[in-house]
Amino acid sequence: MIRRPETFREKFNIDVRTGHEVVELDLAGQRVLARRLADGEERWEPFDRLLIATGAVPFCPDLPGASARGIFGVNSLQRGIELRRFIEEEKPQRGVIVGGGYIGLEMAEALVRQGLQVTLVDRAPQVMGTLDPDMGALVAEALRGIGVTIYHGESLAGFETSGGRVTGVVTETRTLPAEVVVLGMGVRPDSRLARAAGIPLGDGDAIRVSSRMETGVAGVWAAGDCAESFHLVSRRPFYIALGTVANKHGRVAGITMAGGDAEFRGVVGTAITKVCDLEIARSGLQEKELSRLGLDWVASTIESFTRAHYYPGAGPLAVKLLAEKGSGRLLGGQIVGTEGAGKRIDIVAVALHAGMTVEQVAELDLAYAPPFSPVWDPVAVAARETAKLV
Amino acid sequence: MAREKIIIVGGDAAGMSAASQARRRRPDLEIVVFERTPYTSYSN
Ligand SMILES: Cc1cc2nc3c(=O)[nH]c(=O)nc-3n(C[C@H](O)[C@H](O)[C@H](O)COP(=O)(O)OP(=O)(O)OC[C@H]3O[C@@H](n4cnc5c(N)ncnc54)[C@H](O)[C@@H]3O)c2cc1C
Repeated sequence: MIRRPETFREKFNIDVRTGHEVVELDLAGQRVLARRLADGEERWEPFDRLLIATGAVPFCPDLPGASARGIFGVNSLQRGIELRRFIEEEKPQRGVIVGGGYIGLEMAEALVRQGLQVTLVDRAPQVMGTLDPDMGALVAEALRGIGVTIYHGESLAGFETSGGRVTGVVTETRTLPAEVVVLGMGVRPDSRLARAAGIPLGDGDAIRVSSRMETGVAGVWAAGDCAESFHLVSRRPFYIALGTVANKHGRVAGITMAGGDAEFRGVVGTAITKVCDLEIARSGLQEKELSRLGLDWVASTIESFTRAHYYPGAGPLAVKLLAEKGSGRLLGGQIVGTEGAGKRIDIVAVALHAGMTVEQVAELDLAYAPPFSPVWDPVAVAARETAKLV
Repeated sequence: MAREKIIIVGGDAAGMSAASQARRRRPDLEIVVFERTPYTSYSN
């Protein structure tokens, strides 16, 4: 949702200066250097307290042709609008998406809907790297189902251009002709100003913060996609760039900057998206993270239905749960299925926050009536199956 | 004495949530947000 700067000014007395870029922080002098982009005028602006909420920047490959017309990263509303205008005006026939994360998948579907012939390239052996490979395969199948061609395990090597326009995407093994290219290769925290000012950074160069969202420098806060979080399952600092987290960070930062008390305790890595008819959701740790942490785990995947199987609109879903071997502590979960599947991940998220075992999840008193669920909720069924392996 | 002043760099989800919360608690604060683009918060 867009709230206009005027609304903030008039209703909340917040002086929003759009079209202004902060180019330098002088922390000792308690001031920032702001540049008005319209005319380049720069001015030092003093502060008592500072919040850095600069977000994330997309990974942008420094490759030949990367600045050609027709190549988009949809990291902002502005770029998204430009992409739509480009498609309407230039009527490209073939689109290539680089990167199979949720933004790449959403864009692949959007281009298919615009009538383009779409190819997706990912350097990983699967799409949707935040899922385990078996669950990612279900997503790839759905994409192929709407006509998307997928090439796995191929890194982007460059772009072919002609007269300043993109004409193709070059990987290590082939060249894919394209009039429009969308990059969805992930993001990294935009911590450039903070780094230059000597503010300590953490995981993935995100700005290190306390649970009150204060940085390592007194009087300076950070929040959102530029800041680090704490993972409540791995008990380690963790970088995640999501709107849900950014809003929570911002809320806590705003309260503590105003002298109030608030804490952001951490995340469990919950995320959800939708491609074609499939809802895709995950929470907690996945196999590759568990291996990295050296944890001993068990996992099971079950197939069920989103509603009572005889009820109109019931569709298939798969639920995978991971638990610690021995203790049975729930470590993570993934859900892929038709309408009604995805938000069930919130059961997993709550159980992860509460530190529950899969045995306890299997016993939860979850809502049942035919329009909403089979009599045995799919998440509870998966928990029961996983508990058998613990 | 000058009013206490908060500066926020970035006017999207995190920055504008913080600005709104700070304003709710402290009507007296001066709050300035610098945003590079022509837009403010669109993701909440
Ligand atoms: C296509 C897309 C779909 C998404 N879908 C979801 C979703 O479904 N669910 C979800 O949870 N998240 C989603 N996200 C992620 C979500 O948008 C971000 O996590 C969220 O916007 C982060 O908010 P933020 O305020 O930390 O950073 P940003 O939104 O990146 O905002 C940072 C702001 O700071 C400004 N800025 C940066 N540096 C300066 C400077 N030096 N001076 C002035 N201004 C500056 C930028 O212009 C920008 O407006 C999506 C993101 C994209 C791109």
